[in-house]
Amino acid sequence: MSTTIITPPRRPVPLGKRLRGILLHVVLLTVGIIFLLPFLWSISTSLKPLNDLFQPRPSLIPSTIRWENYRDVFDNVPFVRFYLNTIFVTIVRTIGTVFIASLAAFAFSQLRFPGRDAIFFCLLAGLMVPDQVLMVPRFIIMREFGWLDTYQGLIVPLLFSSFGVFLLRQFFLGIPKDFHEAAKLEGASPLRVYWDIYLPLARPAVASFTFLSLLASWNEFLWALTVTSSNDMKVLSVGIALFQGQYFTNNAILLAAANLATFPLLIVFLFFQKQLVEGIALSGLK
Amino acid sequence: MRSAQHLSDHPSPRRHRAQRSEAIWGYLMAAPMVIGYAIFFVIALGASFVLSFTDWNMLSNPVWTGISNYRKLFDDHDFAVALRNTFAIAIPNVILRIVCSLLLAMALNSKIRFRAFYRILFFLPVLTMPVATATIWKWLFDPSFGPINAFIRRLGFAGPEWLTHPGTATIAVIVVLLWSGVGYDMIIFLAGLQAIPRDYYDATAVDGASAFQQFRDVTLPLLTPTIFFLSVIGVISSLQVFDLVYVMTRLQSTNLLPTVVFYIYDEGFTNFRMGYAITVAWALLAIILVFTIIQFRLQRRWVNYDL
Repeated sequence: MSTTIITPPRRPVPLGKRLRGILLHVVLLTVGIIFLLPFLWSISTSLKPLNDLFQPRPSLIPSTIRWENYRDVFDNVPFVRFYLNTIFVTIVRTIGTVFIASLAAFAFSQLRFPGRDAIFFCLLAGLMVPDQVLMVPRFIIMREFGWLDTYQGLIVPLLFSSFGVFLLRQFFLGIPKDFHEAAKLEGASPLRVYWDIYLPLARPAVASFTFLSLLASWNEFLWALTVTSSNDMKVLSVGIALFQGQYFTNNAILLAAANLATFPLLIVFLFFQKQLVEGIALSGLK
Repeated sequence: MRSAQHLSDHPSPRRHRAQRSEAIWGYLMAAPMVIGYAIFFVIALGASFVLSFTDWNMLSNPVWTGISNYRKLFDDHDFAVALRNTFAIAIPNVILRIVCSLLLAMALNSKIRFRAFYRILFFLPVLTMPVATATIWKWLFDPSFGPINAFIRRLGFAGPEWLTHPGTATIAVIVVLLWSGVGYDMIIFLAGLQAIPRDYYDATAVDGASAFQQFRDVTLPLLTPTIFFLSVIGVISSLQVFDLVYVMTRLQSTNLLPTVVFYIYDEGFTNFRMGYAITVAWALLAIILVFTIIQFRLQRRWVNYDL
């Protein structure tokens, strides 16, 4: 504020600035609408009666709104089962991943034990290996365990995130050691210190890692496609991908299914978006 | 902290016991991760390496074939096609994503109204399940009844059959990947932009620099670490594209635009050539590594870590 007094008064430039502002809004709004259109089109298609789908000049507004398409999704295929499978697998995977990674991150950052840094370095090396290299051997391990086409098979191999250990360890290292020392003097076990002090203090990092795990798990496709074979074990992503043109001959119902697969997560995001976006920017990695 | 150090200089039996107990806790707390990692990474990786030298259909025992799988890579036409498709998608994808997300981030970095709204809007596609994204866009690209071709027809042209020719399908896939990825890069760029001190802009403004000069002399050099980071992870992730392309370009049982990861899946789980599928996966890993190393080598020429 005070600088405005010192600097000589500048030429008034309201017109140019305003024009630029308006231009910026026009551009952003146009891009924004283009971004939103696929969602809008998907919602509108999912509410259209069959006749509306085969118009050479399709319209965004359905001629009549047919809510029954959403009911038909659940009639058509074992969609309910896919849905429940996805919810179950996602919840267990997310809680498991966050718990396992944060425990290890605490051990690697706060406790001293022989071989600690060597083990941590080995974990880091795993960040570079793409999952495809491990896909076939993991499939074989699952076969040896007798876990093909089971929930364990879907869940367990994806519980171990090197990235999570790395991210949370960085965060734990930033927490002043005094907390830990004080708790230790009072005779608290490391597990207590982890649970009562470090996990709550690392909430921003834990929250964004939790959401990233949730997102990855809900959307996951390749492993689920590989490890499951029966319809009873399929998750949403696999169900929607495989049944196009087979059970879902009506595109309105297919898109209703796609919307049902997408919107729960978008709603979760809208609730937590501020923290999540900031967390993602902080962690800087997927 | 100092007291802890002081204590450890004079080991006492009590101190000793405390150290041992700490080590035991350390192993216990790291154990779930380390055991899981040992099975699903270390053993899997070792098995993967050994099996890449074998022929194996999963029914009989693996047959050792030496490096013949690796030799086969070089005259495997299908692998070459998959590789070409993957690069045709990956290279434009990385470049377009970075350019577009930087433009969006700069537009949103000003004190503009509805900023939060735009930020959410551009980020929503990032969250959308790739299979659902592909399903939605497949319908948008429908040659007869999709809105894209309806729009092109209204302009007086005949729209192509997007997803039934490799060329137009590649374009369609690039568009969809841009739509679904640009929001993520934008968030990272916004964080980078907000880290640039205001003084730098004020200093150049005093010198009478134009907006473009400011962009060229301040914004761009200071963002080079972010651009570098995004191009490295962009290359890595787009060389692994699978689900989106799989759903968009599969017609009945043939895939019009097989990518490398699709080829791995197909060789392994459709044709049951496990050994060769793994070899292709190792080739992909090698390609990713080479590109990452090249990028790290080149960064010295253009990335500024201090200014």
